[in-house]
Amino acid sequence: MGMSLQTAQTGRAKVYDAIVVGSGITGGWAAKELTEKGLEVLLLERGRPVRHVVDYITEHKAPWEMEYRGRGDRQGSKEDQFIQSQAGPFNEYNAHFFVNDRENPYTFDDAKPFLWIRGYQLGGRSITWGRQSYRWSDLDFEANAREGIEIDWPIRYADLEPWYDHVERFIGLSGQAEGMPQLPDSQFLPPMPFTAGEERVKKGIERAFPDRRMTIGRSAVLTQPHNGRGICHYCGPCPRGCSVGAYFCSLSSTLPVALETGKLTIRTHSIVHSLMYDEAREAVTGVRVIDAETHENLEFRCRTVFLCASALASTQILMMSTSARFPDGLGNSSGVLGHYLMDHHFKLGAFGTVPGLEDRYYYGRRPNGIYLMRFRNLDARTRHPDFVRGYGCQGGAGREGWGRGVAEAGLGAALKSRLRTPGPWRMALSAFGEMLPRHDNHVTLDPYVTDAWGLPVLRVHCTMGENELAMRRDMKLAGAEMLEAAGCTDVQPWEDVYRPGEGIHEMGTARMGRDPRTSVLNSWNQLHDVPNVFVTDGACMTSAACQNPSLTYMALTARAADYAVQAMNRGELKVG
Amino acid sequence: MDVSRREALHRLTVLVGGAISAPTMGAILSGYRAKAQPPGWIPQTLTTDQAKLVGILVDRIIPTTDTPGAKDAGVVVFIDRLLDDWVQPDARGRFLTGLAAVDEQIREAHGVVFHDATQAQQNALLNRLDQEAVQARRERAHPLPFFASLKEWTLVGYYTSEVGATQELQWLAAPGRYDGDLPLEEVGPTWA
Repeated sequence: MGMSLQTAQTGRAKVYDAIVVGSGITGGWAAKELTEKGLEVLLLERGRPVRHVVDYITEHKAPWEMEYRGRGDRQGSKEDQFIQSQAGPFNEYNAHFFVNDRENPYTFDDAKPFLWIRGYQLGGRSITWGRQSYRWSDLDFEANAREGIEIDWPIRYADLEPWYDHVERFIGLSGQAEGMPQLPDSQFLPPMPFTAGEERVKKGIERAFPDRRMTIGRSAVLTQPHNGRGICHYCGPCPRGCSVGAYFCSLSSTLPVALETGKLTIRTHSIVHSLMYDEAREAVTGVRVIDAETHENLEFRCRTVFLCASALASTQILMMSTSARFPDGLGNSSGVLGHYLMDHHFKLGAFGTVPGLEDRYYYGRRPNGIYLMRFRNLDARTRHPDFVRGYGCQGGAGREGWGRGVAEAGLGAALKSRLRTPGPWRMALSAFGEMLPRHDNHVTLDPYVTDAWGLPVLRVHCTMGENELAMRRDMKLAGAEMLEAAGCTDVQPWEDVYRPGEGIHEMGTARMGRDPRTSVLNSWNQLHDVPNVFVTDGACMTSAACQNPSLTYMALTARAADYAVQAMNRGELKVG
Repeated sequence: MDVSRREALHRLTVLVGGAISAPTMGAILSGYRAKAQPPGWIPQTLTTDQAKLVGILVDRIIPTTDTPGAKDAGVVVFIDRLLDDWVQPDARGRFLTGLAAVDEQIREAHGVVFHDATQAQQNALLNRLDQEAVQARRERAHPLPFFASLKEWTLVGYYTSEVGATQELQWLAAPGRYDGDLPLEEVGPTWA
């Protein structure tokens, strides 16, 4: 991308049509949609600039080109990335796309660890995201209302369906149409193939459980050229950055399009301190920024704001934006700002050996796995007695490699010869479960701790509830039961300690709803209290479902941008 | 990788649809030869004698056959690096103690240092240590015995080296296509 970082203009003279805070998945989408609709946009990113292609410094590095062969700089991580290095996607190759934990602290109760995994740079976490993309259905949007849990979503699938279409046509999403009501099909590029082992397990599971469906992962990775971006070359490790732009990322996809309009200004190293609320106009008139490098205080004026800083960061900005009218945070007349934090709980499932197929293997590193759709609590027949909602499973089958030699007896030429041939087929299922919204799970501004720029840090309180714990028992057992039924041997349920946040699907804390007394945002992701402020990242979520959420954030962002521009054009949006 | 090399790679991938042989791709990508144990290399944590013993041991785990063995693939350099600034101090201590015990056990049984024992005497000890290590892993013992670490680091060091990945096994930086189900004989050795 010819990323021309233009000089953003401060002060009263310049009024941007919109300021977008954050350049990750939703910030990129907001910038693209708003500029394409003619608005002049300033995009503020708190981290460093990252240039597409040029700054993917480890893209095709082999392990022998790395200091620790890809095993990571353990001592260095312990000092600077002691939280980030605990997250699944973090490794020696992509550590530079995760924050420094010393410089970016947050707090939590010792007994209740929360992992806040962040990427403060242009492109945000869209560089390192998992790319798995699934629509929600009304099973999800209606769940709270149906079960009388917390508040109802103010929207339904029909509201979002055209916007799913819209974002999928742009991002390029490979997958297989299945016609299953709980997981609506997307606008698909051709699916990636299964391995021989997966094909066998799929047949076995679906024979034993005819209403369950295992499909290939729906992944925002191109299986054919799309919108000027190149096809996947199956090198494998997407989160190092992709120079042909084969996976969706702000740097390769949305930001270039937004820059092309000539209406986007990007300012990096720009930490948003707060939004400026004008009591007389009952609107936000600008954004206060601290330059991360110079610590200089700056003000940028605008007519509307899109907060896309990530769920917790957007909520933190609202909490720091206090005024006489909003002493507890901008748009927080309801008092629910910061509450109902959710994630997806995981790190458990089952694995087993797929017998036979010794003469089959594969070519290339598929950056994708399988997806076993939710099958619990879809209707009366699939109702589980112990919990509400459900879970989906990701995973895959492959042949064991040289690593199996570590745990097996044997030395010398015989060991070396044995490891030259791939080992048995192993199938893994890893379940991702819905977490219910609970008032107790919340964030506040820590009254004692500030960051390097003098801003109060977040204190996070988050635990799993009874429903999640009951669901987890089933997630292991059902996984093992399916693998057994599929003919796997040595089937073992597994579970590891899950800490909230490590799903990197943190959601909620500024939820959508119909009633301004119980929600922060309305059905258009607009603050009930301050109509020219939109929050379209994960903060808006009223419930969590069990699907990977980014696709839904994209659709919500595009929908909100469309609404904002129409409202501005009609003169309905009270603007700064 | 610099941009010109990446571009060259990309162009090749496009031209031949991914059907580039592993050695060709390796040559394009690696840009330099394997870091085998360079002449005159001085270990950082191990003493010269310890490094010599580790060299013998790693070659008993992964010997030279039709492809180079662990020592020639730079595994002693790798293990010395891990001991220098990757492992915890207590794990470093356990490793060095375990290494010394290899010599001691041979001396107690046969009155010579490991280096001077017969191959049969050496193999008898290593096979016993290997069995104990595998058993300890099965029982999820903590900490794991010395030999469990030695074997793990040897395999990791070997198969993530350029020699292990590209000569013993096969490695493609950018395969260019994906096929989920092929006859094994068409694919060849284990993917590194």
